[in-house]
Amino acid sequence: MSEQQATPPPELPEEPAPSMAARFALYQRAGGIITPVLTALLAFIIGGLVVLVTTGKNPLSTYRAIFDGTGLNWFFPWVRGQERMLAAEDLQQTLLVTTTLILVGIAVAFAFRCGLFNIGGQGQYIAGMIVGSQVGVWMPDLAHVPHMILAAGAGALAGAIWGGIAGILKATVGAHEVISTIMLNWIALWIGSYLVGFEGPLQDPAQVFVPVTEEVSQGAKLNVFWGEALAQGLHIGFFVAIAALIVFWLVLNRTTLGYEVRAVGFNAEAARYGGISVGRNYFLAMAISGAFAGLAGSVDILGWLFRVDLTSVQISSQIAFMGIAVALLGRNTPLGIFFSALLFGALLNGTSTRNLDPAVFQPELAGNLTLIIQGLVVLFVGADLLILYLWRARTKLRRKTAQAVTQS
Amino acid sequence: MSVASVAERATVRFDVAKAAGIVAIALGALAFWVTLPPLTVRTQAVPITLGLAGIASGLWSWRHGHVRLGWTGVMIAFLGIIVGLFAMQAAVGNLEVVITWSALTAATLRFATPLIFAAIGGLFSERSGVVNIGLEGMMLMGAFFGIYGADVTDSWWLGILIGMGAGAALAFVHAVFSIHLRADQIVSGTAINFLALGLTGYLFIDLYGTEGTGEVPAVPDVHLDFLGRIPPEGLGNFLERAFGQLNLMIWLALLTVVLAYIVIFRTTLGLRIRSVGEHPRAADTVGISVYGVRYLAVTTSGALAALGGVYLSIGFVHSFTENMTAGRGFIALAALIFGKWRPFGVLGAALLFGFASAVAPRLENVESWATYGTLFQTLPYLLTLIAVAGLIGRSIPPAAIGRPYEKQ
Amino acid sequence: MAEQQVPVLELRGITKRFPGVLANDHIDFDLQRGEVHALLGENGAGKSTLMNVVYGLYHPDEGEIAINGKPVKMSSPREAIDHGIGMVHQHFMLIPVMTVAENVVLASEPRKGGVFLDYDAAISRVRDLAATFKFAIQPDARVENITVGQQQRVEILKALYRGADILILDEPTAVLTPQEADELFGILKTLQREGMSIIFISHKLREVLEIADRVTVLRRGKKIETVSSEGATREGLARLMVGREVLLRVQKTAGEPEQPLLVVEDLTVVDERGLPAVRDVSLTVRSGEIVGIAGVDGNGQSELIDALTGLRRVTSGKVVVGGRDVTMRSAHDHYDAGLGHIPEDRHLRGLVLDFTLAENLALHDFEKQPFARLGWLRPGRMIAWARRLLQEFDVRGGGPRTRAAALSGGNQQKVVVAREVARDPRALIAAQPTRGLDVGAIEFVHRRLVEERDDGRAVLLISLELDEILSLSDRILVIYEGQIVAEYGPDVTEEELGIAMTGGQVEQAAAS
Repeated sequence: MSEQQATPPPELPEEPAPSMAARFALYQRAGGIITPVLTALLAFIIGGLVVLVTTGKNPLSTYRAIFDGTGLNWFFPWVRGQERMLAAEDLQQTLLVTTTLILVGIAVAFAFRCGLFNIGGQGQYIAGMIVGSQVGVWMPDLAHVPHMILAAGAGALAGAIWGGIAGILKATVGAHEVISTIMLNWIALWIGSYLVGFEGPLQDPAQVFVPVTEEVSQGAKLNVFWGEALAQGLHIGFFVAIAALIVFWLVLNRTTLGYEVRAVGFNAEAARYGGISVGRNYFLAMAISGAFAGLAGSVDILGWLFRVDLTSVQISSQIAFMGIAVALLGRNTPLGIFFSALLFGALLNGTSTRNLDPAVFQPELAGNLTLIIQGLVVLFVGADLLILYLWRARTKLRRKTAQAVTQS
Repeated sequence: MSVASVAERATVRFDVAKAAGIVAIALGALAFWVTLPPLTVRTQAVPITLGLAGIASGLWSWRHGHVRLGWTGVMIAFLGIIVGLFAMQAAVGNLEVVITWSALTAATLRFATPLIFAAIGGLFSERSGVVNIGLEGMMLMGAFFGIYGADVTDSWWLGILIGMGAGAALAFVHAVFSIHLRADQIVSGTAINFLALGLTGYLFIDLYGTEGTGEVPAVPDVHLDFLGRIPPEGLGNFLERAFGQLNLMIWLALLTVVLAYIVIFRTTLGLRIRSVGEHPRAADTVGISVYGVRYLAVTTSGALAALGGVYLSIGFVHSFTENMTAGRGFIALAALIFGKWRPFGVLGAALLFGFASAVAPRLENVESWATYGTLFQTLPYLLTLIAVAGLIGRSIPPAAIGRPYEKQ
Repeated sequence: MAEQQVPVLELRGITKRFPGVLANDHIDFDLQRGEVHALLGENGAGKSTLMNVVYGLYHPDEGEIAINGKPVKMSSPREAIDHGIGMVHQHFMLIPVMTVAENVVLASEPRKGGVFLDYDAAISRVRDLAATFKFAIQPDARVENITVGQQQRVEILKALYRGADILILDEPTAVLTPQEADELFGILKTLQREGMSIIFISHKLREVLEIADRVTVLRRGKKIETVSSEGATREGLARLMVGREVLLRVQKTAGEPEQPLLVVEDLTVVDERGLPAVRDVSLTVRSGEIVGIAGVDGNGQSELIDALTGLRRVTSGKVVVGGRDVTMRSAHDHYDAGLGHIPEDRHLRGLVLDFTLAENLALHDFEKQPFARLGWLRPGRMIAWARRLLQEFDVRGGGPRTRAAALSGGNQQKVVVAREVARDPRALIAAQPTRGLDVGAIEFVHRRLVEERDDGRAVLLISLELDEILSLSDRILVIYEGQIVAEYGPDVTEEELGIAMTGGQVEQAAAS
């Protein structure tokens, strides 16, 4: 039986364009760990160039200053004493942000696996924040553990509903999820602003001059397990995030739902032929994705924000967009998401006003620098060819050196 | 029965039922309009009758093959009755605060202009087969570099050119990644948005710090005083207030629409652009440079979208704030889809969305609704969502859109 | 007959590689002026690749091309067009939403005032050109609204408009009825008389013998031989093509059909535009028989298959599988009722290329025992099942954990067939099951279908290849414009089938 045959592309009619999920699957195989590292490195290098060109400052010292604030040096065993304590505090802050980033990263990644681009993390996060905080405020006499679970769960549910709207629209009328989720972001932002604004329905009656909600009851707050509660140490939400990573993997790879989601993500037409309901999976994928983002919102509220105000609704929620870079850099895999969340968490913390010495680099500028780096990461990740090219260049180099060695 | 006669039958059926659907929409709009100034009808029978006629027409259209159009007609007619009755409850005084048609028309044009520029830009890009999610980022580049350029060169028209250049440059990056490196176009576009946000924010703070841009040469308005002298006086007043004081760029936007139509449908370049967007391999086989055409189209889209941003900063608001485009790039994208990738359709859609943006702040002026002020901000986004979900859920884009082209 | 003069086109040592595959292996080829030269080979032999090299779509790794004795470098279709080469591809390079005139003049448009398209000039030029070569064509009709035969003529017009004197046609009769193919041959003869030199790519032996002056046979990327068509036989050519004796008809005994397993009653299906694509179709397939549906592409076959398998809504009528009415049910229910479906496009539908073979083999039943329990997958079971099937069907190129994309086309199709057949269906629907496969894989699929029939299944075969239908079917139905217009036994001739496939009206065939 003949096996290898000449099958250059146009023998069969135009193949369907590879879905997003399929392209990222290609990535994972072609790159392994090297390519994400390379991508991040390239993005940081270009970011450094921007720093150099615009401010004339040495990018390395800027990055060094940023690094000093991240607390990552806590992992170095030779760091001791006072330095170690400071590093511990910094690391707690970093991991605090990492927790959120893991959850929003999972949200984006799960949707990507179904071939959907969920940019609506911001809106889903806001929904989670608001609902989570309200459930946290109600029932102040409820026991600790149930109250936490209820509040966090309610936040996740709110996010699921908000994401599910976009999913239903895609499933029924084929509305593109990029546009619908972005519109839902803005709608959530303004509804949220209305709710927590001056004399809004959720206004804290005790603080008439400040537009902010009531503080969540003590019983709903998440325990701090590392560091001082008063100094905002790391709360158990971190473990929720780790658990979420495991759940993410299990659902995708070990459940029938995950099988369906992956099938639809790789080839919706083949999935439909196989008997899988594509519309149902679009809805479920967006809802589950939204649930993770909503969970991020409620975990942040119950963990350290404790109140919702205009700033949280309009500014802090933007962290959800970072989920896109986190998911893409992490190649939509649990381990990848963890490390890229750590990377971006460190970046965010290291560039915050608290940690960055303005003499070395202005923190406001640093915030935008982070955005640029994010953009570069997403840009490079989106280019299979660039990565493949780098990969092949590397293998070719290896082969050449091996040849040179054998020849000499 | 040959193919031709079957097609003929369908055409005959097509016309009458389609007209009925459009009539239904018109009657629904009319039912609402009569209750507003200047007619301010107060007899309930009038909007009800008009609306019922609209519903009947819509139902007829529905039964005769036009499900979607008929159903929309019924919905709009029904809504027209409801909103009309609702409007009749409002005091005439309040209504007059909100609805001054002349001011509304002018405001609609002002809000629509950035959308028009961006959507026409998107039209060129998408007609050549490249999805341009990065319109928002390109707009933002135009907004910042327009005002910066005008400031540095002290001339508004140089500012326009510099803004266009910045948008084109960013678009070129998108083009390289999407066309040559065959990145996923939506991911690449999203990256562009992050980059633009970070870059403009960074440069704004770096160059202008906390004081803002200050006095910058602005694009002048075009004064058409002769409009006021057109008899009768009511009409003349209306025309003067609506069209007499519009900014130059608004007229430029309308001109752009006409030019776009001519280029796309009447020139050989337009034919080639369309062919590349529908069937790039066919275009390649007759010797058209697919890459070349796409690069041209995408870069042009960047320049045009930037014009939308330039208008925002030096034509409308006369300053720059971070992220001042506020999702307009995506609304423009929705307008593009809503307008079925045709220049005049896009104009209509942009005017509709502009109208929503124009009405929202006016609704806030109504005293009894003041507390809901923030909620009204959701209007344009809500309308976009409905548009994307409703009427045009499945409008047909250029056939090869979104798929990278591979030369062998 | 060609004398020994300078060939109008000559290829020397053309070699083209793709990742993992040597598509063209040092091929020599020449085309004399005014001849019709057929390029023959099975699917995957490298014929299209070779011609794409000539047309500038591919760059050869080695070798030379010479036009009228002068060596040329063909780096793009533009250059090929400039050298007078025109190509009619197997999958048309036409833009459906544009008119005939727009498609023909694209990239060489008549202009008004430098930048504007002179559409009227385009229309009149196309009309004149068509008249010169005696085609009937409507210049301002949209390509998506004209018949496939007419579309092909538009493709030829494109080449003529650009002044081609070498015309390459890639599998042109794949989408035509026998009558339309005859018309095409008539056009080709006219062109030949006008001095055109023609290369005709095909894998159909009968046509090649009918139209060509010389035949070059390719096999697995290599040129085997060039023979004159005079004195050549189908068997001889087949042997050259494949390298061994080929059975041109499948060996099978007469079937013994019993109870009906697939019953379709008055089925009407409406397509996306609201027009009926399938109209009042009734058919029955019994256990132990193969029913073939013949028809020209686009007469409702796809919609019929979709309706029968639950992938499209039925407007009216009934579909009964194994005694169960599945008319309004989902695809999933169809599979549960005992339907098997080998889809016509294994990449678009049959396989999820990024899934492993094990995952693909479980595509219909992944949520049931033993593959899953209460929503929880059990990959071990999937892999064991896959291992069994892969061995039974002799699938080469990978194991249960290999990604489907890594396999060759023939092996991929075997996986699809394995999956459908191993589920023990009552009725099996096979749509274009051998498209794009080499002879060995085709033989395998055909033999398997006959085996299933002998095991008591009902097999419905829908194919555009008349040879396949004639070779396998116990009964043959003809579909035309959504209706079953004729039924024949297995001894019907291709001519009779062809007439039925065009509505049974001879005048219509001559006029179009």
